[in-house]
Amino acid sequence: MDLFQRFALGEIDAFETLVRRFQGNIYAWIVRIVRDPGIAEDLTVETLWRAYRARKQFRPDGNFAAWLRRIATNLALDHLRRKRPEQSLLAEPAGTPPTDHVLEQEIREKIQQAFRRLPAKLQVTATLALLEEQPYEEIADALGISVGAVKVRVFRALRVLRKQLNRLRVSR
Amino acid sequence: MGGRGVNEHDKQQVRQILKRSFPPVHTELGRDLWPAVLGKLDPCPIPVPWYDWALIVVSAGVLLFFPQLLLVFAYHL
Repeated sequence: MDLFQRFALGEIDAFETLVRRFQGNIYAWIVRIVRDPGIAEDLTVETLWRAYRARKQFRPDGNFAAWLRRIATNLALDHLRRKRPEQSLLAEPAGTPPTDHVLEQEIREKIQQAFRRLPAKLQVTATLALLEEQPYEEIADALGISVGAVKVRVFRALRVLRKQLNRLRVSR
Repeated sequence: MGGRGVNEHDKQQVRQILKRSFPPVHTELGRDLWPAVLGKLDPCPIPVPWYDWALIVVSAGVLLFFPQLLLVFAYHL
């Protein structure tokens, strides 16, 4: 009996072997999306735990890494939905006029804010496609959508971001 | 999709701006997560073999018909 069959039957030794084999891969995927090592570790543990609980739904001849990645992506999406930025995007800074360096830092923060204010689905897709330059096929597989749908989401994210960047007068 | 379109140049430009705004993340996992995963797993229930269940049923039946044997059972438990 192979490792995946033993996992599907609930053998804890098989699960331990799979955790050790795939935990790095899953963590790397999640940390790219949430961009916080602590949260990424928690979500990796949650992913592996959920995979074990859902082991009967896994087909031993299926792609285990892709199955785990889809669980991980859904958890990361949920995390981003819960954690929405509260600050106003274009709040005016108070006090004395800022220096170039401070201004640059402020613009960077506002770009980050603009990005985090994207709907979670667009944010995940844009993070993976634009920031991390992951192949569209992999993104589509992880999100459970078609490559065409990934392209649409990237397009929509770009359009929103372009608009926000224009408002911030960031063009370079 | 309406509104102003986004061309490849825009895409590259936004990508560069985003890359400058977001520091790269380290994708290496720093520790083994197996202990944390194991800690989250439900404790496995200890399986009770069929003959234990049979013994319980027989004992309950005996006690039902001969309640005076309760003391004998209690002594042996």
